[in-house]
Amino acid sequence: MSQQAVIGSPRGRSVPKPLWQQPRKWIAGYLFAGPAAILLVLFSLISIGVSLYLSFFDYDIIARGGPFVGLGNYREALFKDELFWTAMANTAVYAAGVVPGITISAFLLALAGHKITHGKGIFRTIYFLPSITPIVVISLIWVWLYSPQGMFNQFLKSVGINGPNWLIDAKTAMLSVIIMSIWVHVGYYVVIYLAGLSDIPRDFYDAARVDGANWWQEIRYVTVPLLRNVTLFVTVTLAISAFQVFTQIYIMTLGGPGSATTSVQLLIFRQGFQYFRMGYASALSWLLFAVIFVLVAIQLRTTRSEQIF
Amino acid sequence: MSQQSLTQAPTHGIAIQPKRTAIGFALGPLIVYTLLILLAIAMLFPYYYLVINAFKGTRGFAADPYSLIPKTFTFESIIYAWDKGRINVYLGNSAFYASIVVLVQTLINALAAYAFARIQFPGRNTLFMGVLATMMLPYSVLLIPTYLIVWSLGLANTVSGVVIPGFASAYGIFMLRQFFLNIPFEIEDAARIDGCSRLRIFFQIILPLAQPALVTIAIFTFIGEWSSFIWPLVVLSNDKLYPITVGIALFRGEHSMYYDRVFAASLLATVPLLVVFFLGQRYIIGGISLTGLKG
Repeated sequence: MSQQAVIGSPRGRSVPKPLWQQPRKWIAGYLFAGPAAILLVLFSLISIGVSLYLSFFDYDIIARGGPFVGLGNYREALFKDELFWTAMANTAVYAAGVVPGITISAFLLALAGHKITHGKGIFRTIYFLPSITPIVVISLIWVWLYSPQGMFNQFLKSVGINGPNWLIDAKTAMLSVIIMSIWVHVGYYVVIYLAGLSDIPRDFYDAARVDGANWWQEIRYVTVPLLRNVTLFVTVTLAISAFQVFTQIYIMTLGGPGSATTSVQLLIFRQGFQYFRMGYASALSWLLFAVIFVLVAIQLRTTRSEQIF
Repeated sequence: MSQQSLTQAPTHGIAIQPKRTAIGFALGPLIVYTLLILLAIAMLFPYYYLVINAFKGTRGFAADPYSLIPKTFTFESIIYAWDKGRINVYLGNSAFYASIVVLVQTLINALAAYAFARIQFPGRNTLFMGVLATMMLPYSVLLIPTYLIVWSLGLANTVSGVVIPGFASAYGIFMLRQFFLNIPFEIEDAARIDGCSRLRIFFQIILPLAQPALVTIAIFTFIGEWSSFIWPLVVLSNDKLYPITVGIALFRGEHSMYYDRVFAASLLATVPLLVVFFLGQRYIIGGISLTGLKG
């Protein structure tokens, strides 16, 4: 008769009790994981349910009620609300500027920073500084820099160019926000790329050199493919947050001039917390979610279909 | 890359330099350093302005807003922002919110992560998948319902309302679980044989071992909570409860004519995070590097 794991009745079982019949073993599990699970379930899973449910009502939070409208909110957003499409286009432009902008800049900077021998840490710290400064603060500084008589235009004037009205001109407002956002976030992704670059074994480069590759070919055929996972992570993360851009627009332009920089998240904020139409705002957030979801799915699908070797 | 070259040439461990002319040898690094330095200046000059403009004083700034070399130096803007501008209140609030969230979240995350890593219980894997799934939800969808939940619990415009949603983080649980999975079983078994209860094992053995991971996550959570803007904006309407992010936006609204004060307030808002950054630098850089590699 084996001595192992015989628990239970004093008569001695030959088969151990199943786990779920030994509460002493697992109750700690529920106690330990409980608070986190409850909080996350409460604030995430219930939230999705509430949000989805609400999106089918024209819910006014002041009146604490509202009629059931079925798909009415969605129809309104897609077919009647011009501002929704404007916001969607603005947000897409923003993402199209910021995601490649940051990815490529961070990659190039990391390449440069990777090769140098002295001062790597100092450069990394300097580039990273904007990432740990509250974006509200950065936005306030840049509003001042962007003012028509501000620093950028003064600098441009000194080399003989008449600078544009950056945030005040509808044609350049979004571009100004994009430039600022790239400046803020590059450093964070430089750190990520630097780590990724350090991970590539020298052997790959040596092998490439033996085959006669120059520095450009090294980058193209060794570095970029081997960083594919890092780049995927970077672009997906950036895309998800770019489509939800809010704070810098709220501080710098409040969506203006006109609606040139209104992002979808700003629209959601306005509809939900200034016009108090929470049902409509919820529907908007689901439409945004759908767009983000499709985008991320495309990114994942495109990358997976290409093999490295 | 041909298979043949890889097997024929004895490259392993030997660095092979590409052919370079003498000029190419010096020029490469020169270009790289120049580029890096120029960009470093681009990164730093807004901060340069932040500092000098905060100290220019109201008249000094109005007379001379864009000069690189300040002609005046005074603490008056800073004192004004701190006192009449109520920046001290806002900073205190931010410090309080961030500290509470960090403490509670670290504890709750660590407990859950330990359970997922080391305690067998029915439904464990499903629950963990559920926790991970919450990471997929964009903030945009969660904002309004979270507000409604908090509001219906009567916590709108209260301290609890601001901090409670931050008390658990699926991301933190995921990271800590990874760490706990790597702690050898023997350590716990030895303690168990000595008669330690699970709770004691957790607090006296596991947590101290996890210190680097805990500190890293704590720092990120602190910075994240300090920087949070849209949630306090939405959930609070009492000026006395605003954290620095919302407070400084409000301050700008009231003092946009005196932008030196806005700079002063901004400087005050930035310093605490800079301190945290310099103290915790290696944790921060280490943490981000890990994030990118694990995908």
